[in-house]
Amino acid sequence: MSEPVENRPVETGGQGPVELDRATVGNAMWRHLITLQWSWNYERMQALGYCYSMLPVINKVYRSRDERIAAIKRHLVFYNTNPQVGSPPIFGATVALEAQKQGQVVDSLKVALMGPLAGIGDTIQAILYRPIIAVFAASMALAGSMGGPLLMFLSGLLWTALMIPLFWLGYREGVGLASQVAEGGLVTRITDLATMMGMVVIGGFVPSIMAKVQTPLEFARRVTVQGKVTEQVVKIQSVLDQIVPYLIPVLLVAFAYWLLRGLKLSPVWVMVVLFVVGFGLSAIGVL
Amino acid sequence: MEGYSIWVAAALAVWAYIGIVLQLGPGLWWHEALVAGAVTGMIVGDLPLGLTIGATLTLMSLGLWTYGGATIPDFQTGAIIGTAIGALGGGMSAGLAVAIPTALLMTQMDVLGRAITTFFIHAADRYAEEGNERGLAWMHFLGQIPWGLTRAIPVFLAVWLGAGPIQSLIHSLPAWFTNGMTTTGRILPALGFALLLSQLPLRKYWPFLLVGFVLFAYLKMPVIGIAVVAVAVGFIVNMLQPRGQSNV
Repeated sequence: MSEPVENRPVETGGQGPVELDRATVGNAMWRHLITLQWSWNYERMQALGYCYSMLPVINKVYRSRDERIAAIKRHLVFYNTNPQVGSPPIFGATVALEAQKQGQVVDSLKVALMGPLAGIGDTIQAILYRPIIAVFAASMALAGSMGGPLLMFLSGLLWTALMIPLFWLGYREGVGLASQVAEGGLVTRITDLATMMGMVVIGGFVPSIMAKVQTPLEFARRVTVQGKVTEQVVKIQSVLDQIVPYLIPVLLVAFAYWLLRGLKLSPVWVMVVLFVVGFGLSAIGVL
Repeated sequence: MEGYSIWVAAALAVWAYIGIVLQLGPGLWWHEALVAGAVTGMIVGDLPLGLTIGATLTLMSLGLWTYGGATIPDFQTGAIIGTAIGALGGGMSAGLAVAIPTALLMTQMDVLGRAITTFFIHAADRYAEEGNERGLAWMHFLGQIPWGLTRAIPVFLAVWLGAGPIQSLIHSLPAWFTNGMTTTGRILPALGFALLLSQLPLRKYWPFLLVGFVLFAYLKMPVIGIAVVAVAVGFIVNMLQPRGQSNV
């Protein structure tokens, strides 16, 4: 990722590509990194943030006012992707292409890449990176440690820092980025690997996080010890633990999963059901 | 009736504003319930409560994601208001009882914030037409205001005016309620795990779940150890896969 890659010459049609100085590119990168979604809205989502971030480049590349206005309007069209993993390489590539006055290529590259990169970025972030960090951090916090929120904060910072190398990757690759994403072999392999790792960890998280979900139920039975009849109290939880430890947490997760996938309930309704279950089972003394 | 001063309410409103805007960019995780709850706990002087409420809400939200700009329960605002109200004496059951409905109701404010911001892109269109780049940049900066205020205003009002009345309302919680809330708080992570699992290829990869479960439940391995095993398992399976089918 870090070895220098040659900037591929692209046909310019005699319009004359512009050499961008490092400060201009850096300015655009930081604008994109910090503010991309500040004006996120339903109509065009990240469009205005993208346009604002591109302004330094547009001003360096286009001399006439009309050309600049045309370029600004091109970047005010609908745009939305994963902000941390998806957008930096796209933005980097389009900065390089704007400098070569490849406006049409820029527009089609944005449209072509924002969907696939949203998919990859959202998958990795939403079902692997964030949940695994969140469970670690939450279990630290439940144990009373300030390390939990600190871990959460640092992980977010690390995720944002990733935007810097991803931007430069896109900037160096230019149009080449599109073909790399389209091939997709490496991406599938990484997602697969991460999914397998994530599932092993989740398998351990369910019992560890929900270890306190235990039944206080017990029953008394009469046993005859050395001819004397005595009462012996048997805790149901310890009987369960001998058969399948953490059975109740596993059943609860399976139940919630079934509500979501089998009955197609929305998460809010599943939450309502869990409230009913929690209050009901605690009222009758089962949990 | 005990409540909070206007200054505590203002501080928490600012914290809510900063949290959501820095989530938009650069994407700091200050809006995460765990961070939002812990900082609120420090401001109102009950850090352990902030940690507990933040952690419980975070575990409920595993697998929730704003795909394509979708609205999900606002656990940031839930954690802030819930921690502030719980810290007045009701503790974890009062806090969660306030935090969860708040998180659900706040989805309406999220939709409102995302809709109002549309105004700014139309204004930006007009500035673009004139070639006024300063105007366009300002429309972009101001776009954060609907986002921030749709969190800050409810937090301010709920903490300043609401905390006292709500607290006296739930001052003497019956035992069945406290017990029910405690139990429910413990089982709510099941929702987070189920949401997460529903997005994973369970049919194809279910044995990996068993590996993690057995390591913890039977072999009593700490979760850090399980994470290390997970890395090893992932790479071993990757090595065993035939290479020909991908372009790597």
